[in-house]
Amino acid sequence: MNTLFFRYVPGNSIVHRLDPRVKIAGMLIASISIFISSSLREMAVVALVFFLLALISSISVRVILSAVRPMLMFLGIIFILQLFLTEGNPLFSLVGLDATYEGLALGVLMSMRFLFLLMFASLLTATTAPSLMTTGIEKMLRPLPLKRLGISSFDLATMMFLSLHFVPLLYGSFSHLRDAQVSRGLDMARNPFKAVYSLSVPMVRTAFISAEEVAVAMESRCYQGVNRSSLNEPVMQKNDLAALLVFGIVMFLLV
Amino acid sequence: MSIDVRNLTFRYDRGTSLEKTSLEDVSLSIDKGEFVLIGGEIGSGKSTLVRHFNGLLKPFSGQVTVDGMAAHEKKVKARVGVLFQFPQQQLFGRTVFEDVAFGPRNFGYRGNELDLQVHSALELLGLGKEIYSVSPFRLSGGQMRLVAIAGVLASRLDYIVLDEPFSGLDAENKKILLSALRHLNSRGTSVIVVSHRMSDLLSVADRVFLLDQGNLVFGGTPAEYVKHAPSHLPEITCLMKELRRKGFDVRGDIFNIDDAFSEISRVLNTKEAVRR
Ligand SMILES: Nc1ncnc2c1ncn2[C@@H]1O[C@H](COP(=O)(O)OP(=O)(O)O)[C@@H](O)[C@H]1O
Ligand SMILES: [Mg+2]
Repeated sequence: MNTLFFRYVPGNSIVHRLDPRVKIAGMLIASISIFISSSLREMAVVALVFFLLALISSISVRVILSAVRPMLMFLGIIFILQLFLTEGNPLFSLVGLDATYEGLALGVLMSMRFLFLLMFASLLTATTAPSLMTTGIEKMLRPLPLKRLGISSFDLATMMFLSLHFVPLLYGSFSHLRDAQVSRGLDMARNPFKAVYSLSVPMVRTAFISAEEVAVAMESRCYQGVNRSSLNEPVMQKNDLAALLVFGIVMFLLV
Repeated sequence: MSIDVRNLTFRYDRGTSLEKTSLEDVSLSIDKGEFVLIGGEIGSGKSTLVRHFNGLLKPFSGQVTVDGMAAHEKKVKARVGVLFQFPQQQLFGRTVFEDVAFGPRNFGYRGNELDLQVHSALELLGLGKEIYSVSPFRLSGGQMRLVAIAGVLASRLDYIVLDEPFSGLDAENKKILLSALRHLNSRGTSVIVVSHRMSDLLSVADRVFLLDQGNLVFGGTPAEYVKHAPSHLPEITCLMKELRRKGFDVRGDIFNIDDAFSEISRVLNTKEAVRR
């Protein structure tokens, strides 16, 4: 069972203790760097930065792997599409399709981008308590003129928090369901179509039911969506700012 | 023929700060044909234990074997059926029949034999023919639960494990389910029921295991259980113990109403006789 999927794993490292806003901004910087890096060498730098951060935060490899593993198929599809659909010097050919050197390079690059995006995201969720994440997002959004669009930064932050909250929850119901169907003799490898059908129907149902339950629970506790305060107000400190600055400069210089 | 658990230790989220030992050096064995209860508080490791019976979890240390095969071997799934908590979530078929047929089909049953097994499982749980072609999502909560249970019973496996099958069922459906399980058991199927409130099931069980914080703290017959277990006693046993304390000469190891009734009438009759 994979219960670590994008879950918060409490700890006491420097990364854990950083202001959530710094980490979210860092995540944005990392995403931008990942998408503008266009060579394998730049990717290697991103990888290096990631592993350093993961090391500092003393997050176990399992946590990162559990975020990546379910997505491997998706990454594989991206890779194969790039490999065969890019024009260039032929590498080999398969059932009338030509794989190219350029496709190989691009495929590796694209799948690496998604891989590192996932890995940075799981580092963020693993080191940041969900409630702090919400407060962080909310505070970062507050200066924006969202009111004119008819929503408050609180609403938006709460929506994001709920989405974050639902990821491990839905993954939990998914593993529970998979166990149940496998116990009824489902062989996922031999019968992928049956697997998708017998898992997706109850999964969608469960998702809707639990979303409704959360909505009812929030309403019955008088959730209004405006001016909520939080138990742990993050206070930006000098070292938080310094960390962000250093991280930003490092990423841009290297990539 | 048995499920054998030897020195099983299991931890979730190994190697992270969330690491948690959920089973510690548990050893037990369940024979073919037994009716077994596994009890313990919520969080004591019951569900974790039964996930090892058909190999969904692999032991961190120790072994689990089923009829001599390692539990994670594929063939074991065709011997041990597990029904998890909230089984109504696993329904997906277009009709009740299709959903219940999912298991037996996966195990290779076809045609008449398949029909027969699906029908008899549904019938056993008191579900009438009129719902066979209805969508399972149009049923009531209790009926959905029974359909899900039928989905596990219909495969006719040697061992059936049910995780908290009674919680949330009304009295009527509880009765139906219990008699279905007893019927299967009388025909040689091992029935293993997990429950955090097992006191009202003691009278149907051959053997009882009690978990406490991942440790197996008791294994024995229901009679031994009510004699030795410190907690989780049936109300009727508490009553008999209380009567004893008050000076009535009744047995303290009684756990079903009929025995209690005859014991109390025996004591009252002798009292009467003495008075006369
Ligand atoms: N998927 C999981 N990931 C991490 N910890 C878990 C998981 N499932 C159960 N646990 C923990 O293992 C312990 C035993 O849980 P469980 O076997 O579900 O108990 P029970 O079924 O007796 O209520 C609990 O402390 C629970 O928090
Ligand atoms: Mg349980």
